[in-house]
Amino acid sequence: MLDPASIQPAVVSIPAAIPSPEFAWAGLILLLPVLAAVLSTICGARGVKGKLPGAITSIALIASFVTTLMLFLRLPDDAPRTVHLFDWVAFAWSGTAPNTSFLAPFALYVDSLTLLWMLFVTGLGSLISIYATEYMEADVGKGYARFFASVAFFLFAMGALVMGGNLIVLYLGWEGVGLASYLLIGYFYTKPSAVAAAKKAFIMNRIGDLGLALGGFLIWTNYGTVEYDALFKAISSGAAPAANASAWGAWAIPYCLMLGAFGKSAQIPLFVWLPDAMEGPTPVSALIHAATMVTAGVYLIARMFPLFSLDPNALLVVACVGCLTAFVAATIGMAQYDIKRVMAYSTVSQLGYMFLGLGVGTTFGAVYHVFTHAFFKALLFLCCGAIMHGMAGQLDLRKLSGVRTVKGFGIISWTFFIGCLCLAGFPFTAGFFSKDTIIAQAFASGNPTFAWLGWVALFTAFLTAYYTFRVWFRVCAGPQKYEAGDEVHSHDDGAHDAHGHDDHGQAHGHAHGHAHGHAHGHAHSHAAAHAHSHDWHPHGPRWAINGVLLVICIGALLAAVPSYNGELQHKPNWVETMVAHSSAASGIPSHEHAAHGHEAGAAAHHALSFTGIEDVHTATSVVASAVGVLGICVALWFHLLNRTAADKLRAALLSNGLTRWLPLLLENKWYVDEIYHAVFRLPSWFLGHVLHFLDKQLIDGLLVNGGARVPVELGRLFQPLYNGALQGYAATMAGGIALIAAWVFWIWMHGG
Amino acid sequence: MTTLALSNSLIAASPTMTNMSSKITLIAPEILLFLGAVLVAVLGLSRNAALRRSVPMVTAIFLAGSIVVTCWVYRTDAVATSGLMLPMLGGYAKTLIAAIGILLVMLAGPSVDRRLEEAFDTGRASFDPIRVMRGEYFSFFLLSIAGTMLLANANDLIWMFLALELASLPTYVMVAVSRGTRRAQEAAVKYFFLGALSAATFLYGFAMLYGATGTLELPVMAERLATQSATTGISALAILGGVLAILGIGFKLAAVPMHFYAADVYEGASSPTTAFLGFVPKIAGVLALMILLSTFGYSGHSTVAGGSHIALPGLPAPLTAVLWMVAVLTMVLGNVAALLQSNVKRMLAYSSIAQSGYLIVGLIAGPQSGYDAVLFYLLGYGVTNTAMFAVLASLERHGEDVETLDDLAGLRTRHPVLAWMLAASAISLIGMPPFIGFFGKLALFSSAIEAGQTTLVIIAAVCSAISAFYYLQLVAVPMFGQPNARTETVQAVPSRWPRFAAVVCGVGVLVLPLGLAKLVAFASSSTEPSAKVAAAPSDTTASDAANLAAR
Repeated sequence: MLDPASIQPAVVSIPAAIPSPEFAWAGLILLLPVLAAVLSTICGARGVKGKLPGAITSIALIASFVTTLMLFLRLPDDAPRTVHLFDWVAFAWSGTAPNTSFLAPFALYVDSLTLLWMLFVTGLGSLISIYATEYMEADVGKGYARFFASVAFFLFAMGALVMGGNLIVLYLGWEGVGLASYLLIGYFYTKPSAVAAAKKAFIMNRIGDLGLALGGFLIWTNYGTVEYDALFKAISSGAAPAANASAWGAWAIPYCLMLGAFGKSAQIPLFVWLPDAMEGPTPVSALIHAATMVTAGVYLIARMFPLFSLDPNALLVVACVGCLTAFVAATIGMAQYDIKRVMAYSTVSQLGYMFLGLGVGTTFGAVYHVFTHAFFKALLFLCCGAIMHGMAGQLDLRKLSGVRTVKGFGIISWTFFIGCLCLAGFPFTAGFFSKDTIIAQAFASGNPTFAWLGWVALFTAFLTAYYTFRVWFRVCAGPQKYEAGDEVHSHDDGAHDAHGHDDHGQAHGHAHGHAHGHAHGHAHSHAAAHAHSHDWHPHGPRWAINGVLLVICIGALLAAVPSYNGELQHKPNWVETMVAHSSAASGIPSHEHAAHGHEAGAAAHHALSFTGIEDVHTATSVVASAVGVLGICVALWFHLLNRTAADKLRAALLSNGLTRWLPLLLENKWYVDEIYHAVFRLPSWFLGHVLHFLDKQLIDGLLVNGGARVPVELGRLFQPLYNGALQGYAATMAGGIALIAAWVFWIWMHGG
Repeated sequence: MTTLALSNSLIAASPTMTNMSSKITLIAPEILLFLGAVLVAVLGLSRNAALRRSVPMVTAIFLAGSIVVTCWVYRTDAVATSGLMLPMLGGYAKTLIAAIGILLVMLAGPSVDRRLEEAFDTGRASFDPIRVMRGEYFSFFLLSIAGTMLLANANDLIWMFLALELASLPTYVMVAVSRGTRRAQEAAVKYFFLGALSAATFLYGFAMLYGATGTLELPVMAERLATQSATTGISALAILGGVLAILGIGFKLAAVPMHFYAADVYEGASSPTTAFLGFVPKIAGVLALMILLSTFGYSGHSTVAGGSHIALPGLPAPLTAVLWMVAVLTMVLGNVAALLQSNVKRMLAYSSIAQSGYLIVGLIAGPQSGYDAVLFYLLGYGVTNTAMFAVLASLERHGEDVETLDDLAGLRTRHPVLAWMLAASAISLIGMPPFIGFFGKLALFSSAIEAGQTTLVIIAAVCSAISAFYYLQLVAVPMFGQPNARTETVQAVPSRWPRFAAVVCGVGVLVLPLGLAKLVAFASSSTEPSAKVAAAPSDTTASDAANLAAR
């Protein structure tokens, strides 16, 4: 049996990076989005009315993806490569070694982990920007350029985060994606809820970023470097941390980094910002808040895995937090009615799985889940977005039904279905393989704690399947019935112009809350409730949205191919190879092999023995499939076959005093926002007012103004000397000289 | 002009004839400027308006020429054989003075005699050589700069005294003629009398030094002082001489207690002249103090106390005490008094007093890093000071200088570029990164900390914080102030040169740090022992100045 304590800080030699100036063109991956951002900004400043910013950004991001692909194809995978782009931060001084310099060149660190991440970041980035060219068309000439400038900037920052060769470039990217996220969540800045959500995301992320900053600082004080290559060299050589490092400092490094990762990746306790972040336009939710940015925390831990593998307890914390988050978010997701929110909680939950994977020691599982999740969750969000786009902003699953049969929504519905299958972990889909790798590792590790976490993860898998198909059965299946959302608008291709109908007596003013940013110059005459009454028709998407949905759907399906190769044809899993050749594998390979080696002996004991299957991986697959299918069946019963049963069940639970806490707790998101409000915000608010009072009265009043009066009064005291009379000046000067001369003599006499 | 003749005769009578030729070589830039001064004086009296108008351009050309000559001179081996205390000092200092001088010409060029020339043009007055001042102004301008440059080569007390006077005397005239008002004349008279008092003070000090050491030659004096220090301790006479010399030269820096003239004179003179007064006499004083303090030496002194020798590092303790006291008083008084001013020129006068305090901090820190920092600081200060006064010189109301803060309210709405330049230079003077002022203060304070003057640095930092209060007014009032009826009448002067200088300096405040390493290296070359590391003529400052001159 392998317990975490016995996972020695395995001296896994990460090959030294090879400086490769010949790959300097890889800098284009970062430069192209920057150019696109600048050009889009110029378009915005010049007031370009057209889709030019969208086109620029899409082309630049596609070019960036192609560059990444070329890098992937040309780069030999023998060792990581560092590409020094230019000197950036360079300080050196004399002091105690090793802290005699602080070097952070703007360099890239390219290994297979970097490439894997950049492939899906730039790939999905390109696809989603194409999707957004159509999705955001109502904002052409207004926020269009701003939107694409922010997206392009995001891609730059994400690239810097992933490709940067040291923690400072990573931090630059980390803050950059945070800024882009803030700008895009608050894209509809006239809408108070969007502004509040943007601020919430920003502040929550600040807390995490503090952890990352401290972690980076502690790494520097302990190892004397923030460059990955030198850091890994120091760790794998087993060198003791620097002489001036403190024990607690070295101990705290993984926990600080963890805080950063939890903030960015929306884990307990910092997860509450992500669901609110859905206030941003849907392509943003898909790209930033599902596929890429939120996985930065996973990337951070995977990249810094050599540090984490030094401390099994840190990994245990990661696993527990991840598992708890997965469970809590899944339970909340069950009880939400807004389909984007369901997807948001599902993202939090799936991110929890990834952290669980990291914690139990399968970086491959975590990274693979990031990879598959990026595709299917982006797909799901884009489907939600397409439905929202076509249904005038309607996101309430109680008000949508049978969308599948509405003209133009076929592709959406079926790609949505495939995305749901992946998320639910339906057998032989991409999500199934990646999730099972994580759960199986929890059981295979042999650690009883991890086994418990495995059980929770399995139960969460059931919940996941249920809430996923709850959405699909409600929205896409069943009898056709829909209500328009609160932002009815026509499109140029729409057969009917719903605007200007002030004559039909339902001129309710403008009830649309710009959830979509459609500040049309037209006179909107529909209020939400009556939107369906007149000329409004849902409109299906055109080629850009449909095409992107299909491509991503194929991507989501193909994401399972590495596993087919791995599991069924006994070829090496492509993703596993990629991860194994990177720093994320440090401390793992021995572990993986050990686990496999143990299987024969441990087979009889593993937690899923009751299935009668010896191999823990196979057993997990079978159990997880069963659980997933069960979840889908429950959803099928409650949300398609017998929809009233769900409401009855809810009413029954609510009416019973003993059980009414359950639906209330779930629907109110475990009251986490309220708890935070009471525990953090109210005391801060109170303290803030007290401090404000003290500041006004004591600091400003007494110290600052009083302190400022001292020099002023002092000046007044001497002002008579400056009366402009020459004799006075001369006498004072001579007096001053005499005084100083006398004083000096006094000093001199006393030998000072 | 008797001064000039006297100085020439004394140079010829210098006792050490061996390094005479190298000394002549080293003052080639000054000789060029003397020639320029003569030419400009004649040109300014011409009946031909075009010739008269060419005077500022000719002045600038001679200054540019002196930069070129300086760069050439300090690459020859004349430096090594000159036997100076700080042989390389002139290479950087002369370039800096001439470069800032070119910018100052841009300010002063259009303003001197403007009314008179307009009257000539419109035929309201006929040409009268008695009334035209332009030739004299720029002639004195060049002479004062030449005197300041000569200080860098001072090797004996007579030379130093004459150079100081050559730097100062023309400025009295410049103040008087800068604008034809009684205030300017009153300021000139005050400046002259108080300047005479200060000259008497340091001349008295020089005499005592001569009495205590028996020589006027500074290298010899340095040897004798070292001998005295090692045996009986430096004599009281020498110490007193040093103190009086420091205090007297302090007048050029406007250091306490010799600062009284500053506010009145700055206010009375025209803005371009004030810009000149804020920089040229100051650098003259700094150069003189550097040479004088090097004579006393920072390399360890002993005092006799109770019959035993006590070795002390640095300057002789009484001199350190004086400088310390003067630095603290200057910083505190300058910054505190500046708080009270509503007249921008008075405020800048006190600010310039305060800046002198920071410079003295660097002088206390010592010959290597301290001097380097002081010289580098002077670059940033020179550019920023010129930028501020260039903004003031670019504005007028009914033909009068714009002087009060109220006049600047809401400047941004009408002259956004000037407002931004003023803001940039004010922030630079506070010492905010990434402006040049930050790097200047950083170098200055870190050199003082290295020299163990932590208390002094703390006081200086507190004073810097106080200074933010009034410097930020120069940002806030023009940027965010509400324009009022009074500011409506403020308009730009017709000539674009002051505005051009404001933009060059304002941008320079931000751009110069990009060449930081080179500039610092150039400043540091001043304290190198010999000519080996003369800076390349392609240095930023030099080429900037050359470019400007070319325009």
